Amino acid sequence: MATPLPLARRHRLVLLAVAVQALFIIGVAAAGYATTAWGRTITLRTAPVDPRDLLYGDYVRLHYTISQLPRRLWRETNREARPNEPVYVVLQPAHGAYEALGVYASKPAIEPRQAVLRGWITNSWRHGLRIRYGLERYYVPEGEGRKLEKRPVLLVKVSIAPWGQARITAVNALAK
Amino acid sequence: MSRKLLETEGPKWVAQGIITAEQQQRLTALYPEEGRVVGLLPLLGSLLVGLSALSLIAANWQGLPELVRLLLLLGSMGGAYAAGEYFLRRGANDSLGIGLVGLGLILFGAGIVLTSQMYQLIGYDVTGLLAWAAAGAALTFLYQSRFLFALTVCIGGIVQGYSTGQLSGFSYFTAALTVGGLGWYWWRRPDAVLGGVLASGILWQAGLLISFLHAKITWFFIPAMLVYAAGDWQPDRPAGRALQAPPLVAAFLFTFGLALYGETDTYAGLLRPPLLAYLSALLAVLALSAAGKRARGRLGSLTDWLLLLPGFYLPSGLALAVATLVVLYAYSGAVLWRAQQEHNPDRITLGITLFILTTMAAYFKLTWAFMDKSLFFLCGGALLLGLSWYLRRAAARALPPKSE
Repeated sequence: MATPLPLARRHRLVLLAVAVQALFIIGVAAAGYATTAWGRTITLRTAPVDPRDLLYGDYVRLHYTISQLPRRLWRETNREARPNEPVYVVLQPAHGAYEALGVYASKPAIEPRQAVLRGWITNSWRHGLRIRYGLERYYVPEGEGRKLEKRPVLLVKVSIAPWGQARITAVNALAK
Repeated sequence: MSRKLLETEGPKWVAQGIITAEQQQRLTALYPEEGRVVGLLPLLGSLLVGLSALSLIAANWQGLPELVRLLLLLGSMGGAYAAGEYFLRRGANDSLGIGLVGLGLILFGAGIVLTSQMYQLIGYDVTGLLAWAAAGAALTFLYQSRFLFALTVCIGGIVQGYSTGQLSGFSYFTAALTVGGLGWYWWRRPDAVLGGVLASGILWQAGLLISFLHAKITWFFIPAMLVYAAGDWQPDRPAGRALQAPPLVAAFLFTFGLALYGETDTYAGLLRPPLLAYLSALLAVLALSAAGKRARGRLGSLTDWLLLLPGFYLPSGLALAVATLVVLYAYSGAVLWRAQQEHNPDRITLGITLFILTTMAAYFKLTWAFMDKSLFFLCGGALLLGLSWYLRRAAARALPPKSE
């Protein structure tokens, strides 16, 4: 029914398709640099965990103080939070790290000193909400994992770009 | 015909005087011995070398500088595509060539994931992976390859699964790419195997959509039967039939489940969409399907729609189970009847299997409660043996005597 493409034409189109794919991967890398360059850096504090549980192969598992929030921070008055629902969490600096101020279903307007982080509800019950930010895994550079593993509380620097993309830029042990 | 068959059977044919010894030699000469084993060794060797390189890179991945990692990802992807194109151009080993192009496509997906992991980027939407599915569709059209088609259907399913599972959003774009892009490709180049693959991929995404929307699960049969109706309009009969198989399997399994468990009231709430909306949607699809069957002269297969009778609106209880069993019997009977009309041995086997399955369900349903257990199994076994013996005899009689 349909005839195959002429060889020369196919060759050109394949070349184009492969070039576009390579550019796409480079674009993903560029998005990483752009998020740091134009993003605003905030600091998040991890919740104390058993340090032996922290290191999973080549990444550390991070639980933040804002990963589990009291129910009163849910700002949608007319309905309950649904599991898996995407949410916007408004953060404000307090005692050296950003803490949550409210959880919204749609993007809220904020003051200049506040920041918005996107996430997903993983669980909600009568008194609280559990939220996943996608920042729970930090792929550690070689050898750094053991160092992080010994500290119960970490400070995580997160860059949030104006277009909403976020990435971890550094993980530091809390200075004592 | 293979050389092996000629070598084993040839002497018998010569002995029986079907062919002469000289003819046997000439036939054997037509199928020269292939250097398969010899050709396999370098392939295995290079595979091992490749695996060792891969494990070396994987072990040191985090320690490598970002730029080196990026170049490795891009290089391996480009290398796989280039090698694939090289083998396809030489024309000597097309399947190896397409296999390498498929590897390049997989490496593209791995490149997207590993690069975003490298920069600790969070995926808030499915754009990154959607590019993967789009690349697969583009390559399918460029190479017109069945392998790439099947691979892209799988990639679409993975992307959609990730989107609904991790990102809590249904990617309508991925669904459109699968239905519109790959569907259009299949429509122009109908193929039986790809029909089954495509329909399965679409049904998977339809299932994800239904669960994402928290809709009653019976809504699933509207998109499923749309796929079925597309099979009715497809001029190529085997390909169309293959596209219809997954929706029919889903409908049969659903009805079968309804016969087995439908009488408890627990599921009823999950199954009943608003009557008017559901029925009118179903009837619209039925009309589309029937028009297709009419246009292609296959109105006989309208009996497939028996499985879609919405029995779940009946009050649950034994009456529902019995009504569902009647539908299942009618369906498997119709399959058997049509198979006998068409003298199609495969379909007869299918019909017999469905018939026996239905009988098993009916027997289980209707006698389990009030029969002694050992007697239950004895009678059940006897019933099945007798039934299969009778059906096979009927099938053998229905088929025309073999002419060879």
